[in-house]
Amino acid sequence: MLGYVARRLALLGLMLFGLLCITFAISHVVPGDPARLAAGPDATASMVETIRAEYGLDQPLSVQFWRYVRGIARGDLGRSLRTRETVGSDLLRYFPNTFELVTGAMLIAVGLGVPLGILAAVYRDTWVDHLTRVVSVSGVAIPAFWLGLMLQLLLALDWGLLPLGGRLGLMQAPPAPITRLLVVDALLRGQWATVADAFAHALLPMVTLCFPALASIMRVNRAEMIETLRQDYIVNARAQGISDVRIVGRYALKNAMVPTLAMIGLRYGWMLGGTVLVETVFDWPGIGLYAVSSAVSSDFQPIMGVTLLLGLNFMLANFLVDLAYGWLDPRTREAGAA
Amino acid sequence: MSASLRLAAAVVATLTLALAAPAPAFERSGDRKILVFAGRQEVPTIDPSVKYDWSIRMAQQSLYDALVKYVGNPPQIVPWLAERWESTPDAKTWTFHLVKNARFHNGDPVTAEAVRFSFARTLKLNQGPAWMLSDFLKEDGIKVLDDSTIQFNLSQPYAPFLSFLPWWYVMNGKQVLASEQGGDLGQKWLTTNAAGSGPFKIKRWEQGVLYELEAVDNYWKGWPSKDHVGGVIYKIVREAGAQRAALLRGEADIVEGLSTDDFDQVAKMPGIVVPNFPGMTTFGIKMNTQKGPTKDPNFRKAVCYAFDYDALVKIYNGHAVLETSPFPNATRGHVAVPGIYRQDLAKAKEFLAKSASPNGGVELEYVYVQGLEEERKLGLVLIDNLQKLNITVKMVPLIWPNMVARGSKPDTSPDMMAVFTTPVSTDPDAVAYQYHKNSWGKYYGSSFYANDDVWALIDRARTTPRWEERAPLYAEIQKRIAADAPEIFGMLMNRRWAMRDHVKGFQFSPVRFTGEVDLYPLAIVAK
Repeated sequence: MLGYVARRLALLGLMLFGLLCITFAISHVVPGDPARLAAGPDATASMVETIRAEYGLDQPLSVQFWRYVRGIARGDLGRSLRTRETVGSDLLRYFPNTFELVTGAMLIAVGLGVPLGILAAVYRDTWVDHLTRVVSVSGVAIPAFWLGLMLQLLLALDWGLLPLGGRLGLMQAPPAPITRLLVVDALLRGQWATVADAFAHALLPMVTLCFPALASIMRVNRAEMIETLRQDYIVNARAQGISDVRIVGRYALKNAMVPTLAMIGLRYGWMLGGTVLVETVFDWPGIGLYAVSSAVSSDFQPIMGVTLLLGLNFMLANFLVDLAYGWLDPRTREAGAA
Repeated sequence: MSASLRLAAAVVATLTLALAAPAPAFERSGDRKILVFAGRQEVPTIDPSVKYDWSIRMAQQSLYDALVKYVGNPPQIVPWLAERWESTPDAKTWTFHLVKNARFHNGDPVTAEAVRFSFARTLKLNQGPAWMLSDFLKEDGIKVLDDSTIQFNLSQPYAPFLSFLPWWYVMNGKQVLASEQGGDLGQKWLTTNAAGSGPFKIKRWEQGVLYELEAVDNYWKGWPSKDHVGGVIYKIVREAGAQRAALLRGEADIVEGLSTDDFDQVAKMPGIVVPNFPGMTTFGIKMNTQKGPTKDPNFRKAVCYAFDYDALVKIYNGHAVLETSPFPNATRGHVAVPGIYRQDLAKAKEFLAKSASPNGGVELEYVYVQGLEEERKLGLVLIDNLQKLNITVKMVPLIWPNMVARGSKPDTSPDMMAVFTTPVSTDPDAVAYQYHKNSWGKYYGSSFYANDDVWALIDRARTTPRWEERAPLYAEIQKRIAADAPEIFGMLMNRRWAMRDHVKGFQFSPVRFTGEVDLYPLAIVAK
C-alpha cells in the first residue's frame, strides 16, 4: 500500500509541474498588458514602466518563469497587480470560503443523493423512482445561476426567509481567525449568533451548488445499486432470508459505492473550481470570483496561483478517491502494485 | 436536558431568529445611522498615491482631504484644507494657505509639511495621480514657507494646475513613515489603512466583501447636517439583479450600475428615488486614423454622417444627450461646434464618393466590451446604418484587457472601437490632451489622431495662464478635432443611482467618476 501511495504522490508532483508550465505559457501569450492595466488608464509610459519593473514584468519570459518556480519552491506565489497583496495571502482569504461552500454543498448532495439513489433502485419503476428521475434530470438541466436567482427571488426577496447574499450579515463581525473557516472559527469561539447567521447566508448558495452534484450522485448510485442487486451473492443472501435492509445496507451498498465515490471525488474537485457563477449571484467571496477578477485584469500571478491550487485540489481529490478505491476494493490495490 | 441537546436547541433558536429577522430600512450601530451602499466594484487599495477609480476614489474622498474640492453642478473648486491661494500671473508659482484647525484622525495637525510629504510621495512613487502634475512639478519645487503655507514652483506655466488638486489627497507623513516596510513609503500599510483627515475613518476592511467607514464626530470641517450618516458600509454586490433586490428589500440604501431598464423600473417604486443628471462621461466610437479604410478623412466623415445619433439616446431610454463637441458639456470652455455630425445620408454618400472606397465594399471591425449590452446594440445600429453605404460591419466583443491591448498600437487598433471616457478634471486640457500625440497608446487614444496644428494648439493652451487667452484656443481645438472626424462623437450618458428615500443630502457633481458619490453631505432622515 505504501508503494502505491508513493507512486501516486510522485505522479501528482509531475502533473503539478506540467500544469504550472502550461498555465505560465497560456498566461503570457494571451494579449493584454497587465502593467498598463494596473497603472491605470491615464498612466504615462514612464508610470507603466515603473510598474513593469516593480513586478519584474520587464524581464525575459525565461527569467520570469525561473523566478516563479523558485518562488513556489519557497512558498511564494508572487504578488497580485490588482489587489497589491501576495497571492498567498489572497488565496488564504478567499479559498476557505469556497472550501466551506463546496464542502457544505457536497455534504448535502451526498447526504441526499446516496439515499435517494438507493430508494430509486430498491423501488425501481415505482413513483419513488419516477420522482427521483425528475429531480436528477432537473439537476442536470437547470443552470446553477438561474436556479440561484430563482431561489433568491422566492426565498429571499418575496418571502424574506433567507438573506439575499454575502457571507455574513452586515453588522455581524466575523470571528477572529483560527482555521480561517468561518463557521468552524465561530464554533470554536462559541459565537452562536455568527454560526446561525453564517448558516442562514450559506443555505441558498449551498443548495444551488449541490443540485447538479446531487443529481449525478443519485443517478450513478441508482444504476450501480440496480446492477449490484442483480448479483448472485445478493440473490443468495435473499434466499437465506436476510432482510432487505441488511442486504442493501451491509452487502450491496459497499460495492455500489465504488463508482459513486469516483463521481463524488471528481465532482468535488470540479466544484472547487466551478463555483464562480454561484459566487457571483450570492456575493460569496470565494476563489472563483478572485480568479475571474484576476483574469479580466490580466493579473497573471493570481491566475497561476488559483490554477495551481485548484489543480492540486483536483488531484488530491482523485488521489483520495484512488485510496478509497483501494480500501473498498482490494483488487484495485493489487492491480496498482503489479 | 443534556449539554448537547441544549447546544442544539440554542443553535436552532438563533438560526430561527436569524432567518425570521426582518430587513431593516437602514442599519444602526448604537445611535449611529449606517448607510449601506451596494456597489459592484471592489476597493483593492486606498493609497492616494497609487491608484484611483470610482470606488477607490469614493473611499479616498471620505478618508482624506485635499487642498481644494470639487462640489456642485457645474463643478466648482472650493477651498478645503487650503482656505485661500494665489498664483503668479505666469501660473508658475502657486501658494496655498492652510486652515489652522484641520486635524488628522490621530490628532496630529494638518501642516504644510504633511502637504509637501504627500505630493512628494506621489511624485516619487510615480503611480496613480502622478501623471497629472509630473511634467510640471518636481519634488524640489515644493516649498514649505511656514506651518500653514506651502508653495508649488512649476517648471513651466501650467494653467490647469488647480483643477487637478482635488485628487491629490493629504496624508500624515509621520504615520505613513512609521508604517514603512523595506523603503516602500508605506505602500503596503496604506493599501488597507488610512492616514487622513477626512470626514470618515476606517472601521472594518474585509477585502472583497465590505468596507465600513465611521463618521468622525469632531470632523474639523464640521458636518453639513445634524442627521449626517454615522457610518457607511460599502458592500460588494456583483450582480445587478442582486443589487436591485437588495435595494428593494431594504438591505441597501444606495445602488449604482443598474441597467437602463432597471433604473427606470425602480424609479417608479414607492420609497425609491433615482437622481438623474447629465454626466461628463463621453461615449464615442474611435476610428483608426492611421490604417485601413478609416485612415481616409472623407471615409470617416461618411461614417459619421451615416450614423443614427438618435439611436444612442433611445438605447438609454432617453437618459442621455448627444455630444455637440469633442468636449463634454460640463468642461470649461465647451462650445457647441457648428455643423457637428448628425445623420445625413446624402452627405454621407457625398463624402464616401470622395474617399478611396467610393462605392463602399469594405468591412469594418467594430470592437466593444464583451457583455456591455448598450455597446452591442450600438454595433447593430452601425451594421444597419453602414449597410446603406455598402459597408459591412463585423462586431468583435473583447474583454477589457484585450481591448486595451488592441488599441495600444496603430497596427492593431481596430477600425472602430467603442469607448467611454471620463475626464478627471473640468479643465479643457483634460479632454484636449486625449487627442495629443502623448495619448497614443492609451485606450482613449486608440484613434491615433494626428494633426500637428492641433497638437501645437493644445500645447500652447495648457501653458497659457490667462483664461481669456485660453478660451479661444480651446474653441479652435474643438472645431478642428471635429472637422478631422477621428471618431463618431456620440453622447453623454446620464449618471444615475437608485436610493431609498430616507437618504438625503445627495450632491451631484459631474466631475466625479461614474458610480462615485460624495458621502460627506449624505444624511439619513427616518420617516
